[in-house]
Amino acid sequence: MSGLFLIAARNLGRNWLRTILTVLGAAVALIAFVMLRTVLSSWEVGAEYAAKDRLGTRHKVSFIMQLPKRYIDDIRNVPGVKQATWANWFGGKDPGKPNEFFATLAVDAPSFLPVMDELVLDEASKTRWLGDKKGAIVGDVLAKKLNLKVGDKYILQGSIYPGDWEFQIDGIYTAARKSLDRSQFLFHWQYMNDLLPEARRDTIGWVMTRVDDPSRSADISAKVDKIFDERDTQTVTMSERNMQLSFMAMFGAILTVLDIVSIIILVIMLMILGNTIAMGVRERTREYAVLRAIGFLPWHIRFFVLGEAVVLGIIAGVVGVGIAYPFVNGLMGKAIEENMSAWFPYFRVEPQVAIMAGVIAVLLATTAALIPAIQAGRISVTDALRRVG
Amino acid sequence: MIPVRYNYRNLVVRKTTTIAAAFGLALVVFVFAAAQMLGNGIKKTLGRSAAPENAIVMRRGSSSEMESGIEESQVNLILAQAAQIGASKKPPGVGEVLVVILLDKIGTVGGVSNVTVRGVPEDVFAFRSSAKITEGRAAAPGTDEVVVGAGIRGRFKGLEIGQSFDIKKNRPVKVVGVFADGGSSFESEVWCDLHTARTAFGREGYVSSVRVRLDAAGKFDAFKALIEQDRQLGLNVQREADYYAKQSEMTADFLTIMGTMIAVLFSIGAMIGATITMNAQVANRQREIGTLRALGFSRSSILTSFLLESTALAFLGGGVGAIASLALQFVKITMLNAGTWSEIVFSFEPTPAILMRSVFLAGFMGVVGGFLPAIRAARVSPIEAMRA
Repeated sequence: MSGLFLIAARNLGRNWLRTILTVLGAAVALIAFVMLRTVLSSWEVGAEYAAKDRLGTRHKVSFIMQLPKRYIDDIRNVPGVKQATWANWFGGKDPGKPNEFFATLAVDAPSFLPVMDELVLDEASKTRWLGDKKGAIVGDVLAKKLNLKVGDKYILQGSIYPGDWEFQIDGIYTAARKSLDRSQFLFHWQYMNDLLPEARRDTIGWVMTRVDDPSRSADISAKVDKIFDERDTQTVTMSERNMQLSFMAMFGAILTVLDIVSIIILVIMLMILGNTIAMGVRERTREYAVLRAIGFLPWHIRFFVLGEAVVLGIIAGVVGVGIAYPFVNGLMGKAIEENMSAWFPYFRVEPQVAIMAGVIAVLLATTAALIPAIQAGRISVTDALRRVG
Repeated sequence: MIPVRYNYRNLVVRKTTTIAAAFGLALVVFVFAAAQMLGNGIKKTLGRSAAPENAIVMRRGSSSEMESGIEESQVNLILAQAAQIGASKKPPGVGEVLVVILLDKIGTVGGVSNVTVRGVPEDVFAFRSSAKITEGRAAAPGTDEVVVGAGIRGRFKGLEIGQSFDIKKNRPVKVVGVFADGGSSFESEVWCDLHTARTAFGREGYVSSVRVRLDAAGKFDAFKALIEQDRQLGLNVQREADYYAKQSEMTADFLTIMGTMIAVLFSIGAMIGATITMNAQVANRQREIGTLRALGFSRSSILTSFLLESTALAFLGGGVGAIASLALQFVKITMLNAGTWSEIVFSFEPTPAILMRSVFLAGFMGVVGGFLPAIRAARVSPIEAMRA
């Protein structure tokens, strides 16, 4: 059996140029496939790594509208709620680089850090930030992009909160979880609130809550929303995961397109493989007839064709994944994480995707060989030998 | 020169191979064209919302109308400045409030998305003369009546004539009409009364932006200088077209870059596929080629002939792909636009340039894919080929 398999595999060496081209073609298709799948899986990283015990509460009608600050106290009193903190979207820009986009948030640092525990900040920076009214911390990706160091002065131009706002960089944070955006600019909510005109003071953008028991999060969410049901401003509360999922669903159309395209790639790959195998079989019709004539059975012939295809699939899979891995992780991933960190905080090939791509290569090669294999087995010995070709 | 008929017969006789190769190329061209049409669609949709002589005034530093806020008292000042530069059409400008609200998307389970609600003054239809009520009637000023754009009509719960939805708790607004605006992004908005929007969303005494209609596009620079020189106002003036170009930039770029990368990888795959096919053809036709050489056809005419064949095959596939991609223009896509954070309805929009590029890509793939095999064919020695 293994002897037959070896013969099948050696057939690949008969037309080196074609084998190499086929492997390359299939490998390129695999690279595209891995790339698209990585876009899709990275897009879902936010939901996958969302903290299970964290809820978010925001204005029911519109995310650009604010909640009264006193809501935070009401939420803290709900049974099952461990900690709660809040943040405002500041919408600030670097006046020198108006096209550079990064998230700027006004947060309540003392309660924010324990709730967002995937944010890693060393003790010295933490103490410095908590004690510094004008202090701010930035993610390591943003710090690199804007060339910021601890101790720097920095000015943001506000739009929602007009004016020039001065800050001092007290620390640079990193992420303990893939889903955290490492290009945020975080500063004290109190500092902002004190400088706002009377009418705009004491409002908050959204509330983040930690609960005792993640399994009760739906129940607690409902309780929170019920408190505010009869007040002027209603809220929507949901788990961080659901929030991410509903956000992703808004881009559903693009994701569907990428999904479809990744399947088209597989069809193209099937055609490249099928074409090569069919051509090989056609050229060897005479040879197969000879084999049949000296006593080989139809299944032997079919085994030759399928065995050759399987080996071709394995080689293509290894080459494709072998190129895709460093290409996506090293080149593309780096560029995307640095430039589009708000969208893709983590852009890497998932091991499952790589394994899946390899398996698909072998399966497709086998599928592509099925019809030629069946036909090869059906060859009529006399006709084939008589044929001039 | 070998007659073209020879190539034609070859393609016809080897039907299966021809169709398989052309189909592969067609898929590549289809994806390439579709990605560009999508990027173009979103740009065009937002671009149509702009009039060349219009300027948009927002708070300095705002990247969208949503973030911006201008005090009521400044609105008249802005309009007066515009009149001084030259804005004689009535009305010369409008101050509007823009918010996005969360509505239930129809056709999805539990799906919600952001919809833009624009609080507009009474004379908005006079200001945007391209917008017309196509069904129902205009909203009565000062009431809780709204009109919805033709693009999002019926795509969300409550956005149909006669239905209503809440813009605030116990503050339902009623849909009385549908308006169209030549496929612009306004068709993805809900227009309600300015005062209703202000009170419902706590924007009393403010507007989000002021749009000004100047007499000529050339007066823009003077207007911009006049408004921006007063640092006290803290305002920024942009051409409407520039503003909308920026709003679509992020999503359109993402689509185009993604599409191009996929197309590049696809076309490498397709070129390799074409090379494999043509190579096999050359190998199968050794005798034929040898005969042609023996008949006196030169190496260069063999080369040309094979190149011609692969290019014709590629154009055939490319043409089919490009024509198939045209069918996509009837597909409407509704998606969140990253620039505005709200739902926008757009479609695949072909342009002659996109189609030309796609077909050109096919031709390119044919030439590159067919080149190596053609050289191989040209190097066939007639004596050995005939002996084989």
